[in-house]
Amino acid sequence: MAKFLKSTKYAQEPDWPIAGVQNYRSNMKEARERGLAARKLLYTTVFSQCFSPCGKFLAAANNFGYIAVFSLEAALAPAATDISKNPIYTFKASEDGSINCLISTDTLIISASYGTISAWKWSDVLSRASKVLWTLTIPKRQPFFTPEVNSIYINSQEDMANHLFAGCGDNNIHVWDIETGQEVHCLQGHTDYVHAITKKSDNECASASEDGTVRIWDCRSAGEASLILQPFKHEACARPEFGKWVGCVGVDSGNDWLICGGGPRMSAWYLRSLTMSTTFDTPGACQQFIMFNEDTVISAGTEAFVNHWYMNGDCKSRVPCTPTSVFSVAINRESETNRVLCVAGSSATIDVCTNFGYKAFGLSFTIPD
Amino acid sequence: MASKDIPLDKEKKRKRTLKAEGIPNGSGDGKLVETKRIKPEPVLKQESDVSLFYAEEEEVDERDPEKDVEHFKAACSNIKHAILEIRELKENKASHTMDDIEKKRVEATLQFIALKKLNRLAHIRCKKVRDSTNEAKLRIDKYHLQLQNLLYEVMHLEKEITKCLEFKSKDEEIELVSLDQFYLKAPAEISKPEVTQHDQHQQTLARLDWELEQRKQLASRLKVSQESKAKVEEDIRMKQEYLENLQPKLNTILQATKPVQDYLGMPFDEIREQHQTAGYLPLPLFVLYKQSTAYREACDNLLTVTIDGDLDAAKLVDLSVPLLDEDSESDQEEQEKKASKRRRKTVDSKLSDKKHRLLKKHPLSVIIQVGCEDGSALHLTFSYLMYLHIVTVSIKVKQSSEMGNSSVSGGDLLSEDSLLDELYPGDHGDTTPNPTNQYQLARNGLKDFSHYIPQVGQPYRWAQWICGLQYLGEGAPQKPQEIISCGSLQGTIRKIRQRFRARSSLLQQLSALERHSVAVSGEYQSLFPVKLQSLVVSWQRSTFEDFVAAPHTRSIVEAGLAKDNDMFFIAVIERGTAKLTARIAVAPDYPNVAPVFSVLVQWQSERCSANDSHIKNLEEELNVHYDELVQEKSCDYLLTNQMQRLIMCFDVYLETGENSAKEGPSEFSREKVFSRTTRGRQRAKPYKYCAELGIFTHR
Repeated sequence: MAKFLKSTKYAQEPDWPIAGVQNYRSNMKEARERGLAARKLLYTTVFSQCFSPCGKFLAAANNFGYIAVFSLEAALAPAATDISKNPIYTFKASEDGSINCLISTDTLIISASYGTISAWKWSDVLSRASKVLWTLTIPKRQPFFTPEVNSIYINSQEDMANHLFAGCGDNNIHVWDIETGQEVHCLQGHTDYVHAITKKSDNECASASEDGTVRIWDCRSAGEASLILQPFKHEACARPEFGKWVGCVGVDSGNDWLICGGGPRMSAWYLRSLTMSTTFDTPGACQQFIMFNEDTVISAGTEAFVNHWYMNGDCKSRVPCTPTSVFSVAINRESETNRVLCVAGSSATIDVCTNFGYKAFGLSFTIPD
Repeated sequence: MASKDIPLDKEKKRKRTLKAEGIPNGSGDGKLVETKRIKPEPVLKQESDVSLFYAEEEEVDERDPEKDVEHFKAACSNIKHAILEIRELKENKASHTMDDIEKKRVEATLQFIALKKLNRLAHIRCKKVRDSTNEAKLRIDKYHLQLQNLLYEVMHLEKEITKCLEFKSKDEEIELVSLDQFYLKAPAEISKPEVTQHDQHQQTLARLDWELEQRKQLASRLKVSQESKAKVEEDIRMKQEYLENLQPKLNTILQATKPVQDYLGMPFDEIREQHQTAGYLPLPLFVLYKQSTAYREACDNLLTVTIDGDLDAAKLVDLSVPLLDEDSESDQEEQEKKASKRRRKTVDSKLSDKKHRLLKKHPLSVIIQVGCEDGSALHLTFSYLMYLHIVTVSIKVKQSSEMGNSSVSGGDLLSEDSLLDELYPGDHGDTTPNPTNQYQLARNGLKDFSHYIPQVGQPYRWAQWICGLQYLGEGAPQKPQEIISCGSLQGTIRKIRQRFRARSSLLQQLSALERHSVAVSGEYQSLFPVKLQSLVVSWQRSTFEDFVAAPHTRSIVEAGLAKDNDMFFIAVIERGTAKLTARIAVAPDYPNVAPVFSVLVQWQSERCSANDSHIKNLEEELNVHYDELVQEKSCDYLLTNQMQRLIMCFDVYLETGENSAKEGPSEFSREKVFSRTTRGRQRAKPYKYCAELGIFTHR
């Protein structure tokens, strides 16, 4: 009994050793959260990426609603370490989940998620203080259904208001005036959701949809589509085992050629005659991204390769990459010194190609705790 | 000698003369002379008086040898003369010469008698001299003998003298009081200074007397002391007896109070006994006992805390002295090394003895029984390794009757070494938390601590914490701190209980899965549609190696989401021609760490997350969005719920799949309601079930 009472004196001793234990335990908590972070990292898909106006930074958005900003200068520096390949700043841009597209203007970085399109100032983001500048909301027409935004672009003309085009999950293409935040038109006609839209000319845009059609619209009025292409009905393109959906569309700068891909084979259409002229064969893979680059076409899809094509349908090269399903290929045209090609898709690693022919290194899309 | 020589010379001379005398007579003549010479003597003796012969001996003494020599010479010359005269006469050949010759011959012959006499005398004299010489010789011998006797006696005496000189008296060995003190202390009748001051011998005697006197005194004092000692001993014995007799009486009194205590519901005795026993616990276990008892009293009555072990042995353990004199140990070790081979056996036994000692537990241990509502309980036995200064835990599971269903694939779920693995991340209980131990073990030639875990129990880190121990870097273990124990006990007990419940529930779930039934509990029914078409057809235990070997798990293993101490299972789900194989890694800290699924679908082609984004999304549903499958209250049914979601998602996957069959309807009819079958650029499938509407939507 005496010892029993005596030993209570330990309770009054200084509590400094506890710090060690508590540190250890908080480390454990971190360890567990890292476990979830590791899981998220494993299932990260980067849908879209864009370069800052200065060309020194790359912003990428993933399926968990995060936007990460990488410093290209640091990553490209000769003394680059693994740490310089991690984001310099990561922020949660969407509470509702995946961010499907990301574009950059002179001052803004615009992301689109489910039901909303939000804009941040580059300057804020780079000073690591993200604050939503404005938000556009896609009108809800049904309960329990929030339409996603799959593709956006901004048509800026000197004499006209800047319009933002968004291809959405409600089968429509919504057009906003970003100065006023008012919806200008709604281009309706697709019978399934819109996968991708692209600018054809100042007054026209092209859209690819799950319904298997590529439509060309006159943006000035909210009317029916001016042209409808149906690759899945074309004998040379049709691949019924992959479905009829069209996942990507691109129009060349000369406004002569339109290339689209998806379930059907990737194909080039001559716009003046509206005939399909060339197919680009990717056996077993569906293309999800198309881009004109000088006189070649870059495409990528559900395989771990980036394809470079000549316009005649010949494959120039197939560059292996990390993501097994590629959603975005971006070329930094803003800065000559940081001119790189970045490949993003179903992986937390964004491949960076300094020479477009091979992967130089990978940027790691880590999510903060 | 000269006197001796002279007669010898005489003898020789005489013999020569005899020979010379005999030569002219020829050899026959010589003989004749001899016989004549010898014969007349005995005749003389016989004829004349014997005294006459002796008279000659006396005559020898009277006569002067020198004169005899002259007589001899005279006789010889007379003979010579006679011979010469005879010769002259013969040459002259005168008639009368015959007479003269005769006369001369008689004369000469008479001379020979004289010579004979002289000869005899010489002989006698010679004999006499010899006799006297012998006599002198004998006398010398006698004297010589006497001398030797005397010398021997001298030597003997000298020896005796040295012996005496060397003699040591006994008193020299006795240490006497010093001289000054002797004169100071001893009474005058003993010291007698007037005598002893000058006489050394007397002084010594006196001192010896004094010594004797003193010894006598001391002996008597000793006797007195011994007597008093015996008396005191007797006293003590009597008192002891009295006290011993008191104990049973007190016990009876205590026994008598028991019913009252029971009746009043206040088990003071037991508590006191436990508390008394607790006094002998080593400090860390004491801290544990105290804190856990306090915790039990305050907030957890399903907890029981008891002390087990040999109390008597514990009383003998003295923790205050350094238990292991390591330096001497190592010295000893070195000595042993030097020892020859025949001692190896003893060395071995010594080593094992030492090993045993190093890993020795304190005889007392604290048993905490963590009970659960359903009656099952977990016995945690905490032991303290006295030399390694760590606390180890042994676990025993007591299952409730309703938990009877056993599982083949999860047989080891409640086993000792896996049940509390990773209670805190990284805490496998397979290494010692005290960094000093490695050195201690190495020094004593022991293997790594993990080898001895079956023997001593598992030294989990939390066990140290709740015993108030912590080890910062190297150095001596600090004193147990109650505040450490206090801070971690509640959380740890909660974790243990949670883990135990989770494992029990996991066992039930596994057992159900083995029977191919995914038993979703009532509270989670709303998470899933009522009707699902896919069925579990197989559920098996697997291994880490198998998990790693599967090609589609590569990304998961690389991400470090499956570790070798996880439990691995393979589930096979089928619907029609489609077959889904899920490899599942269940972390030890389930359900805090959700199981990880890796899915392979065999339907038309082999599909996995690497080549099919829909499978990847399906895995994401299971591996990332698992928190929807658990409620705040209990997350024990996570695995079942994940399996159910897997089945549901597989249904969705198949029903929304592309109709790849070029003709005819799809194999799987759409039985579920989807708002959209695909969404977004990924063309994602609506894996999420919206319970309110009963439809499937996208995440």
